[in-house]
Amino acid sequence: MAFAPMGPEASFFEVLDRHRASLLAELRRAGGEPPGGGTRLASSSEVLASIENIIQDIITSLARNEAPAFTIDDRSSWENIKFEDSVGLQMVSHCTTRKIKSDSPKSVQKFALILKILSMIYKLVQSNTYATKRDIYYTDSQLFGNQTIVDNIISDISCMLKVPRRSLHILSTSKGLIAGNLRYIEEDGTKVNCTGRATAVAVPSNIQGIRNLITDAKFVLIVEKDATFQRLLDDNFCNKMSPCIMVTGKGVPDLNTRLLVKRLWATFHTPVFTLVDADPHGIEIMCIYKYGSMSMSFEAHNLTVPAVRWLGLLPSDLKRLNIPKDSLIPLTTRDQMKLDSILKRPYVTCQPFWRKEMEIMADSKMKAEIQALTFLSSDYLSRVYLPNKLRFGGWI
Amino acid sequence: MEGTAVAVFEILRYLIIHWRCETGISRGALLEGQLVISIEALHSKHEANTLHCVTTIASVGSFYGGLVLKKFIKEIQSILPGFSAKLSWTLEEGSYSQDMSVVTPFQIIFEIDENPRTLMTDCLVIKHFLRKITMVHPKIRFNFSLKVNGILSKEFFGIENEPTLNLSNGIALVINSQHYVSRPKFGTTESCCSRIHPVLGHPITLSIPDDVVGMDLLGELILTPAAALCPTPKVFSSQLNRISSVSIFLYGPLGLPLILSSREQPVTPVFKDTSYFIDLEKYCLHMVPNLDLNLDRGVHTLLTTHLSAILTESHSVVQDSIQFTVDQVLEQHHQAAKAHQKLQASLTVAVNSIMSVVTGSTCSSFRTMCLQALQAADTQEFGTKLHKVFHEITQHRFLHHCSCEVKQQLTPEKKDSAQSTEDARENSNPVLLAETSGPAENKRPMRGRLRQGEKTRTLRYAGAPSPSEAAPRRPEPTAACLTPSGGEARATHGTAPAPGVSPGSGLEDALWLQEVSNLSEWLSPSPEP
Repeated sequence: MAFAPMGPEASFFEVLDRHRASLLAELRRAGGEPPGGGTRLASSSEVLASIENIIQDIITSLARNEAPAFTIDDRSSWENIKFEDSVGLQMVSHCTTRKIKSDSPKSVQKFALILKILSMIYKLVQSNTYATKRDIYYTDSQLFGNQTIVDNIISDISCMLKVPRRSLHILSTSKGLIAGNLRYIEEDGTKVNCTGRATAVAVPSNIQGIRNLITDAKFVLIVEKDATFQRLLDDNFCNKMSPCIMVTGKGVPDLNTRLLVKRLWATFHTPVFTLVDADPHGIEIMCIYKYGSMSMSFEAHNLTVPAVRWLGLLPSDLKRLNIPKDSLIPLTTRDQMKLDSILKRPYVTCQPFWRKEMEIMADSKMKAEIQALTFLSSDYLSRVYLPNKLRFGGWI
Repeated sequence: MEGTAVAVFEILRYLIIHWRCETGISRGALLEGQLVISIEALHSKHEANTLHCVTTIASVGSFYGGLVLKKFIKEIQSILPGFSAKLSWTLEEGSYSQDMSVVTPFQIIFEIDENPRTLMTDCLVIKHFLRKITMVHPKIRFNFSLKVNGILSKEFFGIENEPTLNLSNGIALVINSQHYVSRPKFGTTESCCSRIHPVLGHPITLSIPDDVVGMDLLGELILTPAAALCPTPKVFSSQLNRISSVSIFLYGPLGLPLILSSREQPVTPVFKDTSYFIDLEKYCLHMVPNLDLNLDRGVHTLLTTHLSAILTESHSVVQDSIQFTVDQVLEQHHQAAKAHQKLQASLTVAVNSIMSVVTGSTCSSFRTMCLQALQAADTQEFGTKLHKVFHEITQHRFLHHCSCEVKQQLTPEKKDSAQSTEDARENSNPVLLAETSGPAENKRPMRGRLRQGEKTRTLRYAGAPSPSEAAPRRPEPTAACLTPSGGEARATHGTAPAPGVSPGSGLEDALWLQEVSNLSEWLSPSPEP
């Protein structure tokens, strides 16, 4: 099915098509993906039963005159993370845990807040209603203190119950945007068509609820920054490179944006590329899409897209394109530390080309934003750089 | 001027000063001995409504150093010029020897006529004075007896093996709280232990006003404040919202109580209004100082006479030092009270959350199990019992453990040694046991367990914590470097000896300081992952 046929001729996408074929072959060799892309929602009754089990255990503990405690997998320790090329970062099966005790001055408050949010989840699931993390925070902002505390507890509960957050009837407000050749129907029946629009569409808050996803995109381009995304929109990139999909998480992606990218890959196996700044922060964002994050490693199967490829801006591009030095920025101490940290991560070992690019950056001690390409021309990015990269396979 | 009390004061003061100075007792050592003070009163044959009182002050057993009678009488008469002519002195030399080093018992007797009311007041004053002496001279014991028309009453001051906190220069502070409160202000069950836990402030040098210098008051005066709550409360609850009184005990350089005379020296704001030195309002405390001048009277020394002026001259440094010391005491409890409030609030949230699930559940087996576990007939009773059991289980972990209890609990008992050790460590440092990593083998695999109807335990409970999480912290003593003061007021040329803290009951101090050094960590935000 064709969408707004304004893009290049079919031969433009030959390399992309071959790339997709190789990805599919690789997938078949690996035994394919779990059905539904690894997404499995727990039913409402399952969630209710598991919460009741928790309460029951607490009461049993109290009846034995023992102070109850939660045992939660430690999501903040690298010791509990393993790397699999096909999945990315995920939690080990026997990981270290943290105890949240009810009889300790330091943890009693958190113990109570976990129970509080569990009881709220219980009510949401029972009544089949939904709330965002922000809604939960504002039910008693003084009690919770700040949003981060609520977010972390919700993630802890999700990890503890081994169900995705969606199953807890807790949504998060998406900050990501989509544009391009894509249409779908949201859970409430709303039809969404991202094609041919001057403005982008917000990533829906209920990715699992989307149905009737339709696209014939040749590639999905993940753009790190909103500014770059808007620039490409303004340059009509999606139509010029049609059929394609553009997504941005506006920096570090939220869960819904990651879920959407995962859903697109799992459903269509469309090649996914990233366009990030040539700096450690951009590389780290790219790694989140590709391999996942430590804090959400317990849900890696639902979130990671190991097939992601680095399209640009590569550190080697800076030299190749003779970007002048005054368009470059020296790496800060923090950048250096982050770069060193990324280089030590397990997934960099199996990405020699990525490692090489990072070493170029480390050696030059310079970084660059995508906007550095405007030195060449204001529309160099959308008119020359990206089309050439996509046409001739300039990704790693 | 009342006779008996003042005479007893001055004689005891003389004896103690003589005792200390003449026998060359070393610093850090305590004066040791026993004195008997007995007053026998009979109706006077010459005056109506008057008692003829014979007061005897005698040593019991050994008494080091010999008193020279003439020198003693001369000096006492110079101290008490206002005594009436009815006073007479007798010094029975006993086995008195010219050799000062020979153990010498002594006995001093004087007689005076007083009306009964005055005698009773004098007795109270004397006992008050004796109590104050024993606070800093724990090895001096007094037997005080009063016999009025054949009716005898006795009281003993000073107990053997009193727990003390050593200051310096031989001054030790008894820390048995009975010395400081005659009746417990709180129920005994609410008191942590029978001891106070003084916090010592930094010693400060006092400036002597120009108009005081040259009046035989020279040298260096150093003030070392110490503050404590008495009795040490067990539970930091609303008790800290109310402090019934502030008692101020003043001692001179040799540990003799400084007694103020309301007659000879008007009460200045320095002693009348504690806010002159201590800001208690920041703890939302308002109290009345307990400076019972009716029991503090009579004897005045050069130091006492000018004490107000000296303290006023050094008001800011005195205030800073005392405030710092008081802050150390009150802030700890204030923060502990806040931690306690935090606990109560958290338990309420926990209980309400559990109740919400239990009452909202449509699973009858779940509801039944919950009620049965706590032996509750209905959800209302369940809620009450839930709150009670939570409270009971968590309360003891949040009780303030003083160093006395910690010392006992650090001794392993005859049960599972690993468990007991970990429990003891928990009791001594409960703050260390939150959110620690447990061994992997404690975790059951969780995947694939969410099937309907399956009873899945998703909790593990705090058993014996791993050694890493229960390591006690090193004590960080906050005691100031205590510089002993220069000699008594009459010793006009005093120089401060080398500073140092006497060991004495150092273990208790270290354990106490260890306990409160952790207090700030109790209240810091939990680290987020």
